Amino acid sequence: MATKKIGDVILDVKNISLSFGGVNALTDISFDVREHEVRAIIGPNGAGKSSMLNCINGVYAPQKGSITFRGKSFSHMDSHAVAVMGIGRTFQNLALFKGMSVIDNIMTGRNLRIKSNLLLQALRIGPAQREEEQHREFVEHIIDFLEIQAYRKTPVGQLPYGLQKRVDLGRALAMEPQVLLLDEPMAGMNVEEKQDMCRFVLDVNEEFGTTVVLIEHDMGVVMDISDRVVVLDYGKKIGDGTPDEVRHNEDVISAYLGTGH
Amino acid sequence: MGFFLETMFGGLMAGMLYSLVALGFVLIFKASGVFNFAQGAMVLFAALSMARFSEWIPQWLGFDNLVLTNILAFAVSVALMVMVAWLIERLALRKLVNQDGITLLMATLGISYFMDGAGQLLFGSATYKIDVGMPKEPMIVLENLFEGGLLLSKEDLYAAAAAAALVTLLSLFFQKTKTGRALRAVADDHQAAQSIGIALSRIWIIVWSMGGIVALVAGVIWGSKLGVQFSISLVALKAFPVVILGGLTSVPGAVLGGLIIGVGEKLSEIYIGPMIGGGIENWFAYVLALAFLLVRPQGLFGDKIIDRV
Amino acid sequence: MFYRENGQFKSTYRADLQIFPILQDRIAIGMLLLVAMVAVPLLASDYMFRAVFIPFLILSLAAIGLNILVGYCGQISLGTGAFMAVGAYAAFNLQTRFDGMPLIVSLIGGGLCATVAGVIFGLPSLRIRGLYLAVATLAAQFFIDWFTNRVKWVTNDSSSGSVSVGDLNFFGLALNTSVEKYLLCLMIVLVVGILAKNLVRGAIGREWMAIRDMDVAAAVIGIRPVYAKLSAFAVSSFIVGVAGALWAFVHLGAWEPAAFGIDKSFQLLFMVIIGGLGSIVGSFFGAAFIVLLPLFLNQVPHWLGLPLSTATASQLEHMIFGALIVFFLIVEPHGLARLWLTARQKLRLWPFPH
Repeated sequence: MATKKIGDVILDVKNISLSFGGVNALTDISFDVREHEVRAIIGPNGAGKSSMLNCINGVYAPQKGSITFRGKSFSHMDSHAVAVMGIGRTFQNLALFKGMSVIDNIMTGRNLRIKSNLLLQALRIGPAQREEEQHREFVEHIIDFLEIQAYRKTPVGQLPYGLQKRVDLGRALAMEPQVLLLDEPMAGMNVEEKQDMCRFVLDVNEEFGTTVVLIEHDMGVVMDISDRVVVLDYGKKIGDGTPDEVRHNEDVISAYLGTGH
Repeated sequence: MGFFLETMFGGLMAGMLYSLVALGFVLIFKASGVFNFAQGAMVLFAALSMARFSEWIPQWLGFDNLVLTNILAFAVSVALMVMVAWLIERLALRKLVNQDGITLLMATLGISYFMDGAGQLLFGSATYKIDVGMPKEPMIVLENLFEGGLLLSKEDLYAAAAAAALVTLLSLFFQKTKTGRALRAVADDHQAAQSIGIALSRIWIIVWSMGGIVALVAGVIWGSKLGVQFSISLVALKAFPVVILGGLTSVPGAVLGGLIIGVGEKLSEIYIGPMIGGGIENWFAYVLALAFLLVRPQGLFGDKIIDRV
Repeated sequence: MFYRENGQFKSTYRADLQIFPILQDRIAIGMLLLVAMVAVPLLASDYMFRAVFIPFLILSLAAIGLNILVGYCGQISLGTGAFMAVGAYAAFNLQTRFDGMPLIVSLIGGGLCATVAGVIFGLPSLRIRGLYLAVATLAAQFFIDWFTNRVKWVTNDSSSGSVSVGDLNFFGLALNTSVEKYLLCLMIVLVVGILAKNLVRGAIGREWMAIRDMDVAAAVIGIRPVYAKLSAFAVSSFIVGVAGALWAFVHLGAWEPAAFGIDKSFQLLFMVIIGGLGSIVGSFFGAAFIVLLPLFLNQVPHWLGLPLSTATASQLEHMIFGALIVFFLIVEPHGLARLWLTARQKLRLWPFPH
């Protein structure tokens, strides 16, 4: 397999601190993400991993620190701006639009690129119709890629969990993101489903060059597919490096296994 | 100045009436998490029951003692409201456990329509009297401070006393008793409460019965003052702005909210009304609630609402 | 065996994106339109037009508007009556103050005024939601009630508070008979219905539904909640405003503010819930139900030989509505539209059981 080219730093998280009331979710977190790499964020439950992604997406506003994307710094992100910048996201608890079909869910990811105004959409002629068809074609490619063709018209609420996770990924992919934030994309899956999901993530990373930031609990997956790893524990960073370096880090080991082992 | 104070007292008393209705509302929301759109209909239903039974009981039993009639009519009405609570729980609430707020709200809207129709079908749709022996004559106070003194209504003062007693009782109930605390748990999360063994059905029947009894008290006081008629349930719609102001989960908030709205309505009607054609009372409460919602959605004393992602 | 999609393969996305992709559906709709446009005008009595068809059409229109806001975008509104009032009075002012104003312009003008009111009173939805928004919309309802009652120029300084429009004409064609009024309403409902359907199945419809289902995720994908919510209020209020103007002009003829009070708001909400939230077809079902039930309640006792007084009938109506709301919310929260869909699914398998 040819080694892929990992580029410069595309996303830089500096000294992020986040707290809710008296609870410190994140304390002085800094790490960077290079273009085209697969960066894993790992850590025990409650370490603040999802909160970190939420800061990047603008769902939470950190009290301190900054996030730099392609050279532009922000003290807190605005969700819409983040989406426009090309950062896509899947959710740990599957924030899918339960009332809509698979196609419609993934089509919402194309929303940023739809230009027709309300009136044209109401009349559904000419440019509006063509746009709708073009985006439908793009979404169908994603559906093919994720192998969910048979379910395209099913309301997502009726699909089994593993398939819902694929739709979540599809929706994020529809945004044609430069950076893809995946929050436990393989949670609750069996071995085969995990292999499928890994395959998708790697394909996206290798074929489209999408940078992937991945929260994951399965150490096997993390060691296999990630280029670099960040380790969080109780909101603090306790490790940062290649999978091998992190695997042998004392602090990481004691965080996962508990002290006194 | 005298006139201003009189207006203010009038507003306070009207506000007290709103608070009475709002109390039942807060009770139900605090303890079952349901926004009970039917509270006004319950007040009307209860009031109709009280009014008609106090008419019928002397006829059926053939005596004329006012106190006894009222006590019996009250007892029958309490029983009726408990039965209503049981029916609501059995037929509606039980099947809607864990639905989201909007669905429950719309269900209570349906219940309110049902009760409006049923109440009038059972008890009639004319205007009825409730006479619990409240003094109707006004009294004049503070004659030495203000010329002619201030005109107050004795009936309103009794109503205020009753409301104050009710509020105290309810506050103590929620703070100090085991059942009260269990009720607060239920309101937070139906499923969680069930999973730790709280018998949801029984709790709901208790809660809605209490809501019904509070509605009965409110209905008796309103009905005694204004006569029992259909418009009570419309005026009771004003209870919603009251609880928005006070906080959906706060018993003292319901009182304070009611007073603020009562006074605010009266004062704005008298002083600002003439400038823009009058009738401000119809929307003042709602616009005030709207303003609160934009600035402080949890109201004066309510719990802060946190949205978890 | 009739309702099968066998052999109906689509080879273009355009074909798959049609409103009625199944041939049998297209035939059915065609026949329905034929009945509506030809059979009804020829066969229905004056009473049927005035008591059934015209109110049904106008209320369907209002229900479509409300469904867009509540069913598709998930923003609850108890102030629909008020927005109908805005549409009605604005159209009234345009019609009576300007000589020779074409009816369509008045109607659209009414709709646009309702849009402005809708967006203004929809602003709170940016900060509050659910039950709180419901109470906020009551503010719209009562404020506008008061406004149309007290502010004199709204009613063209009518002393009694009630207003009326004279004879209507549609670009010169007089609209005197019920048939003509019916056809006008039918035309408007069809046009607006198609536009509404196009909106809800297009990009903005998906935005609305995304906001309804999970607005945090929607924001992360790049949907602007502000635009989505306000556009829902705007489109919804426009349609409701036009419906209000039609209700006043065509159905009532002469009216006063009480015609658009909170009871109307509740009535429309019931239509939308019973008919089916998030369904254009459901809006029609709900309107049909609400229009037909009182008539039914009036006739059935006669057939059974037990006449009911109007008061009793109205009380029974209240009870039945209330009970049905609760029933639908428990059994089929998606209303008659879902029941219809389930029936069609069964029809596809007929005569096989599964």
